[in-house]
Parts: sequence; structure tokens; C-alpha cells
Amino acid sequence: MRGRPGLYTSYEAEAALLPTRTRKVALGLLILVLVLMPFSLPVIDQIPFVRFLGDAPWLRVVNRALIFCIAALGLNLLAGLAGQVSLGHAFFMGVGAYTAVLMGGVSTPHLWGWGLPMWLWLPASGVVAAGVGILVAPAAVRVRGLYLAITTIGLVFIGLHLSRVFEEIAGPGALGRKWPKLQLRLWKEEEPFLDFSGNGHWFWFDVNRTQKTYYFLLALLVLFALAAANLARSRTGRSWAAIRDRDVAAEIMGVAEFRAKTTAFAISSFYAGVAGALLASMVGQMNPEAWNLLLSVEFVAILLIGGMGRVSGAIMGTFFVVLSPRFVEQFIGWTADQAEGDGLFSGFWDLLVVVGSGDFGLISVTQQALGFPLPASALDEIIYGVLIIVFLLFEPLGLFGIWVKVRNYWKGWPFSY
Amino acid sequence: MALVVEERSSTDAPAPTVTVASLARDWGISDPNRIAMREKDFGIWQEYSWARTWGLVMDAAHGLLALGIDVGDRVSIQAENRPEWVILDLAAVAVRGITVGFYPTNPAAEVKYLLTDCGATVHLAEDQEQVDRVLEIDPAAVPNLGRIIYCEPRGVHSYSDDRLMDWDDFLAAGRQHRAENPDAVVDRMAEARPDDVMTLVYTSGTTGPPKGAMLTNANTEFSITRIMGEDGLRGKRVPTADDLVVTYLPLCHVAERIFSTWHMVSCGLCLNFAESIDTVTVNLREVQPTLFFAVPRIWEKLHATVMIKGSDSSPFKRLWLRSGLKLAGVIGREKVANGGLHTPKSRLLNLVGYPLVFRALQERLGLRRCWHAGSGAAPIAPEVLEFFTGIGVPVYELYGMTENSAVATGNFPGRMRLGTVGEPYPDIGFRLDEETGEIQTKHPGVFAGYWNRPEQTAETFTEDGWLMTGDVGEWVDGTHIRIIDRIKHIIITAGGKNISPSEIENSLKTSLYVKEAMVIGDRRKFLSALIGIELDTVGDWALRKNIPYTTYRDLSEKPEVLELIQGVVNEANEKFARVESIREFRMIPKELDHEDGELTATQKIKRSAMEEAFGGLIEEMYA
Repeated sequence: MRGRPGLYTSYEAEAALLPTRTRKVALGLLILVLVLMPFSLPVIDQIPFVRFLGDAPWLRVVNRALIFCIAALGLNLLAGLAGQVSLGHAFFMGVGAYTAVLMGGVSTPHLWGWGLPMWLWLPASGVVAAGVGILVAPAAVRVRGLYLAITTIGLVFIGLHLSRVFEEIAGPGALGRKWPKLQLRLWKEEEPFLDFSGNGHWFWFDVNRTQKTYYFLLALLVLFALAAANLARSRTGRSWAAIRDRDVAAEIMGVAEFRAKTTAFAISSFYAGVAGALLASMVGQMNPEAWNLLLSVEFVAILLIGGMGRVSGAIMGTFFVVLSPRFVEQFIGWTADQAEGDGLFSGFWDLLVVVGSGDFGLISVTQQALGFPLPASALDEIIYGVLIIVFLLFEPLGLFGIWVKVRNYWKGWPFSY
Repeated sequence: MALVVEERSSTDAPAPTVTVASLARDWGISDPNRIAMREKDFGIWQEYSWARTWGLVMDAAHGLLALGIDVGDRVSIQAENRPEWVILDLAAVAVRGITVGFYPTNPAAEVKYLLTDCGATVHLAEDQEQVDRVLEIDPAAVPNLGRIIYCEPRGVHSYSDDRLMDWDDFLAAGRQHRAENPDAVVDRMAEARPDDVMTLVYTSGTTGPPKGAMLTNANTEFSITRIMGEDGLRGKRVPTADDLVVTYLPLCHVAERIFSTWHMVSCGLCLNFAESIDTVTVNLREVQPTLFFAVPRIWEKLHATVMIKGSDSSPFKRLWLRSGLKLAGVIGREKVANGGLHTPKSRLLNLVGYPLVFRALQERLGLRRCWHAGSGAAPIAPEVLEFFTGIGVPVYELYGMTENSAVATGNFPGRMRLGTVGEPYPDIGFRLDEETGEIQTKHPGVFAGYWNRPEQTAETFTEDGWLMTGDVGEWVDGTHIRIIDRIKHIIITAGGKNISPSEIENSLKTSLYVKEAMVIGDRRKFLSALIGIELDTVGDWALRKNIPYTTYRDLSEKPEVLELIQGVVNEANEKFARVESIREFRMIPKELDHEDGELTATQKIKRSAMEEAFGGLIEEMYA
């Protein structure tokens, strides 16, 4: 009830997505900022953190993060909400990507492709992945926890194997093939009526292709996040939570375990399939080896760092994991500049980084091979390895848990409980 | 549910009698969609609009007619606060019956006494536990009792007593009766007379068996206009239909009836039923009522919660809270000295304290939107009052009793005085007896007498028709009244000195650690006391001091606790003259309980029962 946040007169009000006005305003502001971000607007481009997104390289990374968000939301439904830890997420993304390329790709003598428009191949990539998910689901009813995780690893290898068998779909081994572009056309016409993959002019603004892709992906993410948040508070979502907390007890309460696990796999795979298709067509060309175990593990890491079971946790985790290598890279670059300069601390930075040959340091800017000094690219993998350990030990609820703690600190004011 | 309210032309009777039922009906007609009641069920506050409420009252009233209730028949209710309580209460008044409320805690023996004393024909028992208490009674002992209605069918289904009836069946019977005789209740309501007894309120019975005080429709109307009207309890501001009240104290007590049901029907405000006495703090926080009434025990508990939770919080918060409380202390003293109003200094301090601490504190206590709070039924510790005034919850101490429909004195906004129960309501008959100092009142709110007890009724009135309240008071500055004690409690020591034990007891009870205190000394050489500790706070204190304990008795007999209480006693002794100081005290080895007969339903000590139960301890002190 208005002005009395604790007074719920209906279950609808209690389960509302945005129960308080503060949250509505906060979300509204966030979306406004997100929409304005890619532009160099007169005032806003003075705000340092917001402005950098105007740079294409940053925006590209953000686009990648947006796609990863969709995939992470999918895994979050499966692992965070329904408690079914899966390491086969990369496989489902791959299924989506190859469905997209089969339906939307160009047909050549060696490759299959039907050249269908995006409004067909994008949903189809999700649906096909969901279908495969349903096939896999019975395994989850039989095995639990770690065993399920190991079982789903098998999927990744099956996927890699299939990609080698069906070269007509996946393209030749190391090269892969070209994916259809993010363009909306009615049918197979030459000219798309909405093109996200080229520079253009929208309303009164010039927008480049990265900015266009950003908006397209942002809209999709909002859609998928809304769906995920709504699912979590639906009957289905509650049945998942019951299964997660104790599947036997849930079954005794009347939750159909088989059905719940099957829908969890199906919907999670749908998210993964769409994300896979988007990722491949944004990158343009990918080889089958990209859909490997590491990618699956990355999503588990995202959930662990962000916080299991919450939409905001999955999104925070994704941005953290996807953007942090870029930040580390920038940081190393900055330290290298410092080491070469005459600043007060240049001696310190000089000890840390290797700039040229014969220089001593722990991290190398130039070197790529693993060893000593460490290449900058390996550093961020170490950082997030350490982060996973740290989060598991000290903050199992992830970034979302930290947020909850901060919030509760103020909510409880001036008491501690 | 469709609302069928028959409007009667006012030509039927020259001046229709105002009853709580007629007031409720008016709201049902004038503002049917407004929320009248909320009850928390399955985690959600279920709402009852006025239309639905009045519809249910009509159904219940017809149900009572179907059960053959005649004018002046008694309908008794033993239940926690819930919508059915209010509905049946209003329905009984609508058919000119008499509502009799029992405390939900009344044990079987008392239920038997009350049922035989009032001779109820219909009884509402909330659940199996309450039903059992009635079924224990030999049916021959309560020949009038025709129906026992129950609200919670769990466990009662298998009972075969044919007096039992489910609440829903009762309403269904009412609906059927209503379909057959659509005007029966309306006609009965129109016949209501001002001197109809509408309720029996049983006294708590500290000295003898409880007596049923008869309140009439005229008493109610007077009480409603004096307390809720303009220049009433709240000065110029009058409660409106937008106000919210949380009801949690027993509805059979006149204070809670006034502050919930009578407020609801007269102002149209929304009544929110707390789930139980244990969840009051949570419910308060959810509902954030705008008007609040509590007994001192609740205020002290709220105060203690702040203190305990505050000392449990993290160091920074603790420091923050402590300075906030210091500030509240200063503001509280400043405001109290100014009649409860802000002075420029306190307003300035409040400007600092409110955003930093007070607002959050009020929110956590559930009193952020509360613009008037009352404390009554027992004396409250000045420290507690100061604390709440300091953090911005305006608490006013009130005084009244069942026999005068709670219209006697009150601290009015802007004119409050600490340690007094305020000023008499304007234009009521109010005086102190010249000799004894006893408070006496005479106004239309004074009750019609005790049920079936003419000689005791006569005893409570002076020869010139004034009600003797039995409370000794004194004037403070000629305007405010300070209550000294019950006239029967005044102790005359062996030295012949008159001493008021309540003052000393209350001074002991201002300590966070003391829950019960009983001062003894009638015809004795010196004063002594039996003291019961407050388990929560002393337990918390022991935890901090690393004193291990097992039970209540074990804890209260720890030497450290004895030392703690000795400190409290010494502190209290400093406030009184030498003859009034407590020389010896003993710990009460158990938590006092209504069920065991040491306390009344309102948690007042029954002195005779105490002397009987702990006579050994008392004699030990004088040995």
C-alpha cells in the first residue's frame, strides 16, 4: 500500500516486480542512462564513466556483455533458480548459433543455408535449443548435483564432435563460417528495412552500427530480463525453487519434479540458443571450437560472482566478468605509461611491468606466451580465478549478496537486525 | 457480497437512538467502499469494506434472531481480536442484545463463573481450546446457553455436542432468516432505546469475583462524543475515516473497545487486527497506525526493545543511536516541560535528530505516522513517556474506568504534565472527596450498575449519586490530577503511617529489569517487597555478563541478579521518605500467570492470592 510498504492487501502487490516508488524511479533512471550512454551528449559526456561508452571499442565489449547477460539469465534460471548445475550451456548456445546459420546463412556448394530473415532464425534458434534441452532433461531427473554437471560436460564434447561431422553446417574446421547479419527484413529481399549492422541515421541522430547493435541488444535484454524476473515469481518459478531447495520434499508437496526440471532445461536452453545466435552473428564469423567447456565455465563463474538466483545478480556478474579483462588491460597499459614516464611512482610501476626486453617486472605488456613475466592477458584469468575463490569463501551470494548486505545495513538503521 | 441496506425514513421514530450498530450502518450506506477492517490471513491483509462489514453484521444479527435472541439477552464472546468479534458485537447491539466479552486467557473456572453470572444464551468460542472450556461446564449449570458458535472448525468437527455451531452455518442461518424476514433486524434496531444495556464489561476482579458493569447506549454515545469529538481527547484535531488503528489488546476491556470498535463506528477509520500479541511489533511496522493506544507494559516493552536492539547493533550504529537517544532525552524533557509542545530549542534539535535517528526509530516501532498515542489502565514510567515524546511520538497519559465509560481525565495536547493523568474533561461532573481524596464522577457516561448486583451497585455511588471510582487522587496546580493509589490498597504500617504501595511499586517497575513488584507492609514494622524480574531484559543482561542460567527461577536467584535488583531497590528508596523505604525484598520464584490465579486477566496482581502463594517468603522477611 502506498506510503506503507509493509502493508500488502493482495498477493499481486506482494509479488510486484517493483514494489516501491523508489525502485521504479531507480529503474527508470537506469534505463534512461543506458539509452543515452552511447551518445556524446553535451553534458553527459563530461561524466567520465558514462562518456567512455561513446567509444566504439568499449561499446563493442558492452554489446558482448549484453549478449552474455541473456545467456547468463538462462543459466541463472536453470542453476540459480531450479538448482540444476549445468556445464553444457555452451553447447546450447552452439545449437542456437548453428540453427541461426543454417536458417539464415548463405548457401554455397559446400555449405548449407536457407537465407531466411532474422525474425525467423532468431526465435528458431531458441526453440531448437529448447527442444534439445527437453531431450536432455530426463538425465537431470536421474542424476543430481555434481553428477549432473559431469553429465552435461558430455554435451559440450558431443557438440564439438557433431560440428566436425556436419561441416556443411559448421564450416570447415578452423575457419568456421559467416553468420547472417543482424538485419530485419520481411523475406529474402536485398534491402533490410531495419539494419543493425551498418551505419545509418535514426530520427535526428547519426548512429553507427555498434550503437545500433547496442540498442537492439539492450531492448532484447530488457525483454529477456523481464521474462526471467516474471518467471521467477510465477507458479513455474516457485516450483523450481521448491525443487532446488529439496526435490524430494517438493515432490511430496505436489510439485511435479519431471515437469519442473524439463521446463527449466527448456527455457534455460531457449535463452542460451538465442544468445548463441546473437553472439555468432554479431561477431560475424566463428569456428566451432568457440563453444567449448571454457565458455560454460565462464557462465558458472558469472553466476558465482554475481549471485545465484537473481536477475540483477546475473547481470552484475556478467558485466563484471566480461568487462574486467578490458579494465585490466587498460590498467596495465596505464602502468606501462607510468613506468616509462617520470612520475613520482614510476620506479614502483617499473618494477611491476615489463615494457621492453631486458626489463624486469612481473607482468609483461609485450610478451604473449605464458611464463615469467606474466602476459597481461593471463592476468585477468588469474584475477577472476581468485575472485571465484574469494566469493565462494566469503560472499556466496556474490555481488548481489554484497548489495543485499549494504541495503540491509541501511534498512536496519539504527539497529543491526 | 451484494449489499442490501434498507433505509428507513426518519419519521418512524422522533429521534432514533444512536447505537454502535446504527453508526456502523450509516457508514455502510454513506461510504460502502471504504475499508473498515483488515485482517492478516495467509500473509496478506484481507480487507473488509464497510458494505461487506455491514452485510456481515446484518447476517449475524438475523442469525441471532434465528437463534431466538430477545431484547436484553446476553451474547458472550471469548476470542482473540478478529473480525467476527466486532461483527457479533455489533450484531448483538443491533438486535438489542447485550455483548459480554471474556478475556481469551480466562481459564475454564472463570469461564464457568462468567457464563453463569451473565447467563448468556449464545456464546462465541474462537477455537477448540475455547470450546473445551465451555464444554467442561455441566450443561445444567448454564441452562440458558443454547448455542456455542465457533470460528475455527479445526478439532471441533468431531465434537457431538448439539449446541455447537460453525460460524459459517450461523451466518447462513442468518441469511436464510433475512430472506424470510427482511425487516426483522431493521425493526428491532429502530426500537432501540438510550437506556438499553449494550454491553457488560467485567471488572478485572483484583479483590473479589469479577462484576459485570452495564453500559448503555446512552453511555456509549456520551463516551464517543466526549472522547472522539471536538475538544475531546485529541483537542482540536478529530480522527477521520483516513486514520488507521491496530487492535491487539483484549476487546472485552473497555479501553480497547473504545479505541478500536467505537472509534471505527464513530469515525469510520480502518481497524487492523494484529495476528496475535506476539506479532504486534511486526504488525505495527506493517500498518503504521495513525492512532495508537497501549498499556504501560507495551510502551515499556517497545522502549526496552529499542534499548536491547540498540546495544546489540554494530559499534558505529550503537554510537549513533546512543547520541540520538541523548538528543531525544533533551528534546523529551524540553517538550514535557512545555506541555508536550515544541520549544524553539527542541524544534531545532529535532531538525537534527529526526533525519538521523528519530525517523528510522519511529519507522521501526511502527509509529511514524502516529499523531496521537495514549497510555492508560496503569501508571507509566516518566522516563518512558519522555523517551517517546523525545523521538516524536506524542504519548498522552489518560485515566478512566469502565464504570464511567472511560470519561474522566486526560492529558490534552499542549497541556500535558508528566506524572499526572491530566485534566478532567470539560463540563463533566468531577470532584475529589474532601476526606479521602477519592475521585468521584457524575456524567451521562456513568454506568447503569453491576449486573444482578444491586447492593454492590449502591455501594459504588455516594448518597448524592456520584460514582466512587475507588482511586485516590490529588490536584496538581489545581488543574491536573495525580493518582495516588486504589483506596483499598493504602497501607497503614504498624507505626500508623499511611503509605501508597502503588507509588513505590511503580517506581520499582520503572527499571527495565523489574516486571512485577508487590509492596507489603500493612500492620507490619517496615515495608518489604516481592519482586519478579523481566526475563527478557535480565536474561539479556546475564548473557552480556557471562552469567549462565537455566530457568526463570535459577536466573532470579543468582547472587548477581540479587545485587542488580538491590541496586534498583536502593534507587527507588532514594525517592521516598525513610518510612516508605523497602528494607527487605525477595524474588518471586516463578513468572506470574493468569492461569495460576496470581494475576487478573489484565495482568494486575491479586494481592490475596499472592499472599497465599508466597506467604512463606513474606514471613521470612519479617522473621
